Amino acid sequence: MSSDHIHPEPTTFLRKHVFSIDHKVIAKQFLWFGLIWLGIGGIMAMMLRWQLANPGVPVPLIGGLLFPRTGGVIDPATYNTLFTMHGTIMIFLGLTPAMIGALGNWCIPLMIGARDMIFPTLNMLSFWAMFLGGAVGFYSLFVPLGATEVGWTGYPTLSTTVGAVGQGETLWAIAVFLIGASSIMGGINYITTVIRLRCPGMTWMRMPLTVWGLFLTSILNVLFIPVIGSAMIILVLDRVFGTSFYVPASIMSGGTGGDPILYQHLFWIFGHPEVYILILPAWGVVCDLLSFFARKPAFGYRTSVGAMVVVTVLSALVYGHHMFTTGLSAMLGESFMLLTMIISVPAEILFFNWLHTLWKGSLRLTTPMLFAMGVIFVFGLGGLTGIYCATIGTDIFLHDTYFIVGHFHLTMAASALFGTFGAIYFWFPKMFGRMMSERLGKLHFWLSFFPLVLVFCIMFISGYAGMPRRYYDHTSAEYLRPLQHLNVATTVSAFLLGVAQFIFVFNFIKSRWWGKTAPQNPWDVGTVDWTIATPVPHYNFKTIPVVRCGPHEFSNPVLGPDTDWIYQTEELPG
Amino acid sequence: MNTTGVIELHGDGPVNQAPPETGRDRVNATLGMILFIGSWTMAFGTLFLSFLVLRDKIAVWPPAGIALPSAPIAGLATLVLAASSVFVERGSRSLSLDAGSGRKASFSALWITGMLLGLGFALLQAWLWYDLILAGRTQTSGLYESLFFGLTWVHAAHVVVGLFLLVWALVGSKLGRYGPERRSFVSNAALFWHFVGIVWLFLFLGFFVF
Repeated sequence: MSSDHIHPEPTTFLRKHVFSIDHKVIAKQFLWFGLIWLGIGGIMAMMLRWQLANPGVPVPLIGGLLFPRTGGVIDPATYNTLFTMHGTIMIFLGLTPAMIGALGNWCIPLMIGARDMIFPTLNMLSFWAMFLGGAVGFYSLFVPLGATEVGWTGYPTLSTTVGAVGQGETLWAIAVFLIGASSIMGGINYITTVIRLRCPGMTWMRMPLTVWGLFLTSILNVLFIPVIGSAMIILVLDRVFGTSFYVPASIMSGGTGGDPILYQHLFWIFGHPEVYILILPAWGVVCDLLSFFARKPAFGYRTSVGAMVVVTVLSALVYGHHMFTTGLSAMLGESFMLLTMIISVPAEILFFNWLHTLWKGSLRLTTPMLFAMGVIFVFGLGGLTGIYCATIGTDIFLHDTYFIVGHFHLTMAASALFGTFGAIYFWFPKMFGRMMSERLGKLHFWLSFFPLVLVFCIMFISGYAGMPRRYYDHTSAEYLRPLQHLNVATTVSAFLLGVAQFIFVFNFIKSRWWGKTAPQNPWDVGTVDWTIATPVPHYNFKTIPVVRCGPHEFSNPVLGPDTDWIYQTEELPG
Repeated sequence: MNTTGVIELHGDGPVNQAPPETGRDRVNATLGMILFIGSWTMAFGTLFLSFLVLRDKIAVWPPAGIALPSAPIAGLATLVLAASSVFVERGSRSLSLDAGSGRKASFSALWITGMLLGLGFALLQAWLWYDLILAGRTQTSGLYESLFFGLTWVHAAHVVVGLFLLVWALVGSKLGRYGPERRSFVSNAALFWHFVGIVWLFLFLGFFVF
């Protein structure tokens, strides 16, 4: 590979659009892939909510098509499959490609002034490994003896052959493994690219915070995805080859067996960093977008970077808070509780910086800005309720209730999703050369925001009242029947949220092909990616840019009265 | 790499032929490989964590009264794999020595010796399994066997990949794809092979020494 990192422009359709090694094409592939899976996972969530509000009533419209055997009713096994695959799909096949795959591929080279990723072929393999993982996961829904139905966490012994006899569970493990391999390939590529291909003048402290978020996420990806990879290999060994790592006694011989709790440790050693893998890019995007549209420098840039680095380190040390009810020793439990609480310090620093960036800014309430501000709000709700989940005394009561469901959806799902939406609205003009409709975008935001907050806040109430997660039919339990109206309210909000997403789908597709042609820099933003032409040429930069100032030089007094921004490639006057 | 930082495109479009590697390219490739090995260290670290946690459940270690894998063969395999790593490393380094006659020949000789020793390790590993299976112990027999077969299988899969990389590097050097001018693939294959060897060292220590 030459040090210029240029590869010749492909000429065939296959090399141009399918097996492309161009980071911009791969970003779009990841985006479409992720959005389609977000849609599938979202429809699954709607079906779950339908069952919770109307237990035993056939699903309208699509029920008869999907579950002809039961006349459209979701049976218990299907319900289990739905919530398992909803979690797996949203995390691994929805947010990961849409946030890390698409955004990482698009933003990293363009924002640091590089012509492509440093290992373009590895980049292509990363997408196709993810694609294969998605295909295996989808196929696992239709195998004999049933799809996986053990929850996205896949705890043994339920997930071993003792609890799940079908091939679906094995295929699920293989799918997770393949998707993990994709993330590791992407992570290695992102880290090396950021370290080696920053253009001259792009010092670490001049990088846009989006790139910082993606960089730190990649470190977590490279270090912790292998842990779940190994956990899945062991699960497959147990299921297919009859070993007894996770089975208390050997199934075949009845001899000494392993330990199901071991899996929980391995899963959460990965699982907790995974939460930050999803949220760190969103944080980075929010830091940048707030500054871009408040027309002010990102307040406390260095402390934001520091806070994200501290969160990255701490995220590796807190996984035990998922296991307070497994009989963890009191000393370990308290250590994990303390470390978890400490994470709120860097999180607060970020919050303070975000709010201070907004303070006295000349806000431009565009759609990306609305979504960025939405992240502050929903992440605030999720973060504050996290304190109850981190405290052992309250967590033992709240464990496995809808309180937890509400908490993690607000923190890692809703925040990451809003961050993704903000990023899509923001980079769409550069990506596809057309503007998205602002009017529909704002409608999408407001019609998503209120139902979303309602869905998960009502879950806090029902969870606090004792509603356990993963129950097929809670009305069969006397003490849960009074909570039915709360479940109905959640479902109504969830359906409103679901319907609002069609506005986005319509806007995205309409703008992609029939939108207004985008100017080169519609947002008056100075980062390097906006210095180049739209559509972006194959080689990105005719001349590798030289960066002369930071990414957030908005409203700097030295710029004079006529303009409030400057390109990173320009020298600050004076 | 020029230090002014401005890289002009050659003519209108990008260049189409692969020029010799620069020092910068080599650093890129090595950095990528180090990150990969860091990642895989976590993967094998996970397996070792499982090993340590589960080993604690076995009352007597190593278990008494059943056939165990042969420690002398495993010791021999360790020495063979260590020797293989030494030859592979010397082969890889022979490419970066100053130009002189016979350099390529010495690369091939060292590399092939390393490969054959690696193959020898694979055979010894197979012997270890075969011995146990002959004695009626398989991965389903109990926790000790689960650990031994499970961990050595995963390691063996990496031995196979490593051997494949060594062969690929050798073929590439014969075809002129790799050589003193372009040696990142060779040095990365060597790095991977050392990693496979270090993982085996830990397996050996865990199962046969401590």
